[in-house]
Amino acid sequence: MRLPLRHLAPALAILAGTMAACAELATEPPADGEVFDAPFAELSAGELRVFLTGDAEFSRRFAPATGLGPIFNNASCFSCHSADGRGRVENSLVRLGTPDNDFLPHLGGPQIQDRAIAGAIAEMVPDGVPLSRRLPPPVFGVGLIEAIPDASILANADPDDANGDGISGRPNWVSVRDYVPGGVPGAARTALGRFGRKAQTATLLEQVVEAYHQDMGITSVFRPAENVNVRAPFSDDQAIDPEIPVATVQAVVHYVRALAPPAPGADTPTRRTGAALFASVGCAACHTPAFTTGPSSIAALAGRRVEAYSDFLLHDMGDALADQRPDGQASGREWRTPPLWGLRLMRRFLDGDAFLMHDGRARTVEAAILLHGGEGERARAAFAALDPASRRTLLDFVESR
Amino acid sequence: MMRHLLIAIAALLVAGSARAQQADTTDRPFVRGGVYDKPFQHRLAGRAVFGGYAEVHWRHERADGLLVDGGFEAKRFNLFANARVSDFVRFAAELEFEEGGREVSLEFAAMDLRLHPALSLRGGIILSPLGRFNLAHDSPLTEFTDRPLVSTEIIGVALSEPAIGAFGRVRTGGASRLTWELYATNGFSDGVVTASEAGTRIPAGRGNFKDNNGSPALVGRVAWSPRLGTEFGLSAHRGQWNTHASEGVAFDARRSLTIAVLDVEAEWRGVLLQGEAATAAIAVPDGLHGIYATRQAGGYVEVVREFARGLVRTMPQSSFAAKARFDAIDLNRHVRGDAVVRFTAGLTFRPTRDSAIKFDLVRGRDRDQFNNPTERAAVLVSLTTYF
Repeated sequence: MRLPLRHLAPALAILAGTMAACAELATEPPADGEVFDAPFAELSAGELRVFLTGDAEFSRRFAPATGLGPIFNNASCFSCHSADGRGRVENSLVRLGTPDNDFLPHLGGPQIQDRAIAGAIAEMVPDGVPLSRRLPPPVFGVGLIEAIPDASILANADPDDANGDGISGRPNWVSVRDYVPGGVPGAARTALGRFGRKAQTATLLEQVVEAYHQDMGITSVFRPAENVNVRAPFSDDQAIDPEIPVATVQAVVHYVRALAPPAPGADTPTRRTGAALFASVGCAACHTPAFTTGPSSIAALAGRRVEAYSDFLLHDMGDALADQRPDGQASGREWRTPPLWGLRLMRRFLDGDAFLMHDGRARTVEAAILLHGGEGERARAAFAALDPASRRTLLDFVESR
Repeated sequence: MMRHLLIAIAALLVAGSARAQQADTTDRPFVRGGVYDKPFQHRLAGRAVFGGYAEVHWRHERADGLLVDGGFEAKRFNLFANARVSDFVRFAAELEFEEGGREVSLEFAAMDLRLHPALSLRGGIILSPLGRFNLAHDSPLTEFTDRPLVSTEIIGVALSEPAIGAFGRVRTGGASRLTWELYATNGFSDGVVTASEAGTRIPAGRGNFKDNNGSPALVGRVAWSPRLGTEFGLSAHRGQWNTHASEGVAFDARRSLTIAVLDVEAEWRGVLLQGEAATAAIAVPDGLHGIYATRQAGGYVEVVREFARGLVRTMPQSSFAAKARFDAIDLNRHVRGDAVVRFTAGLTFRPTRDSAIKFDLVRGRDRDQFNNPTERAAVLVSLTTYF
């Protein structure tokens, strides 16, 4: 066989193209610590196996035929939490409630499901009641938050501002649902709230079960009855209840528990200066730099340093941010200090955008700081008083978390 | 003596049996119209033919540096049957076994009644004339291992439906001609929205072999071909996809699905260019707006250049082909993401025109609904042949 000259050009073109393509064909995995959906590196093989099951379920998008609805907000966990990070304002949930702690179930509360499958009727936001828009929070790192001992969090509580620093962090002691193991059937239980914008949820099991039920309309053995529009309660989806087995719920709980927070940015002299400024202007009074975890069901999470920059307590954030919707012991003016981890990569997974504060109203870290009121007013004023270079240094530090 | 007698009796029995069998099969069948009394055994003998094609893949696919799919696939084994029943009637069928027989479907089974070159009637399970690729997508015919994304993700190739309609061709001067097809079908089913966990997916509503809404859909295509190897086609589907009533009680509005497809095939200086572009509008229940797409679009363009014909001296009909294809689909026009782009390049070797060994390199990018990218790459090898 010999290759005539007229065939040489296409053959060479193919060869060159193939060689160029081969370099591209491996595709590059993201570097360690550069994503929101990676597990802790030290998980056992068994833990990784369940993590992968949970990962698939977290990404699973439900259809009406597989249980979605009848009323719902979105079709999968992943559809609200971009790449397991925070969501966009378009994915915000609307919660209802009155200042006297009535979640208005007769009007669709506690949460408005603004979508419905064919044949069902989506809930409408009622007029004249306080609304609280909630941006979907990041889901990584929650296993570490869960593993911080109560005592460590409570050590920072100062409900009466005894030290007179203007910061009065309060714990949110919340009711634990009966389906959470460990309680006595029928007996009321309270626990320290850690999750949610107002620390209104104490356990990851509740967080996952309620998200399936309220956000997607997916029933489980823990919440076996469909969530329906109280003004059109006849609607039902096409799947048999419960729509997901216990194993699925447990796999997703394990998945979020085992999601590692991304690594912070490089530790530079400028950032060390920024960290000092962060503390000196008073940010660190609520954004507690670090805790150490206690025991955890995942061995790799025990005894670990947690640099979340949150005290996981409630703080009065002033009139401008108040939603007038109490939740547990959280008042209508109080919010849980949000962790700052992941801010470094936030824009990467939000198509270049940034959404901060409980409802995503702030589009930059600086804007978010300047929205602080109430207990955060003193720190806000101190930040505003910094010279531009110092402000940039502080912002660089915060945005490197 | 005894031995001769036995031989004579045996000979008589055999001769009698042959005569009796001949009488039995020529005079009256055992069961009239039964298993041994079919037209293809008598009247159509020699006019009913069988054939098919087979296809096997080897795949190595990666996404963001991780292996996501790999190994061998017995992709398709298709059987064709074709009969010229009379000068006016023809029948053709295609039975498809996919994934080693785990999925079996009757892709085509239709009768044609030819009244005039410009008008023939067709009824049965047809391949919907929605883009040229849906009408001609046999693996040995195409140069790439994977079908175009617009075909698989938006049009739903192979899209076959129970239908009745007509087709024909009209000379338009010289070598040019115009062909047309128009059918009434059941259209797509509720699966467009209810079945797929990926959101609105038109292919999930295929296979509507029992009508769900009493409202026929229309699908048709017009194609103009100025000469052999060049064709421009325009096709469309419109129909109701959802079940809106039961036992006379309407519980939902009628919701339509419209798909329009433009297809092109052209040959210039030995380079074959093919492409297709499709757009779809899906009326989705109000309660699903925002997360279920109401608009989708996509297309592909591919170029193929054959070379080195007869280069392998032991295979004088053999040829090679260099090929490249660009695919793009947007599965939700109202969000920035939910889209896929792919570039495929490679080489095909054909020992003869009816068989092919394909080697494809694929590089692309998927974007989720948040517009987060996933880099994808693949090496594909496939073998396929008509038989």
